[in-house]
Amino acid sequence: MNAENDMSLLSLISGASLPVQLVMLILLMTSLFSWWYIFIKVATIKRAETESEDFENKFWSGGDLNKLYESVTAGRRKPQGMASIFEAGFKEFIRHKQQGRMEVSDVMEGSRRAMRAAYNRELDDLDAHLPFLASVGSVSPYIGLFGTVWGIMNSFRGLSSVAQATLSQVAPGIAEALIATAIGLFAAIPAVIAYNRFASSVDRLSVRYESFMEEFTNILQRKS
Amino acid sequence: MLRKHENTDSWKAGFLAITVHLLLLGAMLVSFNWKAAHPVLNVTEVELWDKLPSTKPTIQVTPKPEPKAIVEEKPEPKPEPEQPKVDIALENKKKELEQQAKIELEKKKKVELAKKIAQQMREEDLQNNKAAEKQANIDREKALNKLQQDLLNENSGADTKTASAANASIIGEYTEKIKAKIRGNVNKILCADGNPELRFDIGLLPTGELSGPPKLVKSSGSAACDDAVERAIAASQPLPLPSDPAIYVKFRSLNLRFKPNE
Repeated sequence: MNAENDMSLLSLISGASLPVQLVMLILLMTSLFSWWYIFIKVATIKRAETESEDFENKFWSGGDLNKLYESVTAGRRKPQGMASIFEAGFKEFIRHKQQGRMEVSDVMEGSRRAMRAAYNRELDDLDAHLPFLASVGSVSPYIGLFGTVWGIMNSFRGLSSVAQATLSQVAPGIAEALIATAIGLFAAIPAVIAYNRFASSVDRLSVRYESFMEEFTNILQRKS
Repeated sequence: MLRKHENTDSWKAGFLAITVHLLLLGAMLVSFNWKAAHPVLNVTEVELWDKLPSTKPTIQVTPKPEPKAIVEEKPEPKPEPEQPKVDIALENKKKELEQQAKIELEKKKKVELAKKIAQQMREEDLQNNKAAEKQANIDREKALNKLQQDLLNENSGADTKTASAANASIIGEYTEKIKAKIRGNVNKILCADGNPELRFDIGLLPTGELSGPPKLVKSSGSAACDDAVERAIAASQPLPLPSDPAIYVKFRSLNLRFKPNE
């Protein structure tokens, strides 16, 4: 009996019809990309959290703001996260002060606007790739299901042409079709979990940034 | 696609993503048994018994030995005859005593006799039962023998019943189909010279699969050719079979005369 070679994973995939193979390929690519993004986002969000923690510690340790500003801008790489918000706000504040003869409220308004812009940029960075994960999570099961339905349709069509229908004639077709659903689910489940986790982390970070902005505005107001 | 600050992580993340997929693939390969198991054999065995003609004597009915009739015929003591009233009490009493003694003796004798009879009957019963069982056994054996004989007849294909012309044509057609399918799978290079004839005994299941390895009855003279044909038979499973179970019986063990170069 040729039992050895009719059910291996490779022959199941290569025996599938072209649309099913395409679906599998698409799903494999999406799965690879979504996992790639997941790992990237894990790293970046973790880094943003530790950086804002560090910066808050430095900020509230009571040092001179000018010194802090210099240390933030001195680094080779562009400040990120909370540091970039601080940098934008303080730069604006110093500029207004150097120009002199300006109302306090105007100065505050200007630095606030600068901080808001930096905050939006930061948030945009944090939110990157999340829509991709969301759509992978919601769409890839459907793509997999499409491949499965197509494969099962094919195998049943083949069944109709033989006189004596046995289960072993449809079983390989259904098995190979179900692989598409399996890949789709494998892509979707981590994507949904990761999306929810990242969304909540980004929310918490944005709240942290916002409260820092408010507090920093107060400090600047006191200084001017 | 990627932000500037993400470039540092991209290689590591890509490596991790590929690792995750390889892990899943490995888990799938390890945890699933991708080899297909064919539990067909059991099914066919059941079907084989289905095909037995109903004219066969039913053998399972064994004559049940009748429950032992326990004969406990206790002879009823004979009603005492009415004693004629005699005036003399003494005589009367004496007579009565005598009578009683007699009756008792009689009673005892009768009881013993009854016991004996019962014992005898019981023994007889036992013997009867044994005999009946023996008879049943013999009957069963006979029926079995007959069945086996019938089966043998069927298997050897030397059925005394002459198949109808339609059946014969269908058998011929499917034999040709089987041969054609096998021929398509034979490596002709190995059987190149001449027109050798091989004979194989092959057993077929109702699904068209082989019930066992094909047995070579007559070789072509070249071992390579024999092997090639044997491999071709194995490769052409499932073989085409008629859907009619009555005709399939002829294919259960098939003597295949085969010329690869025809």
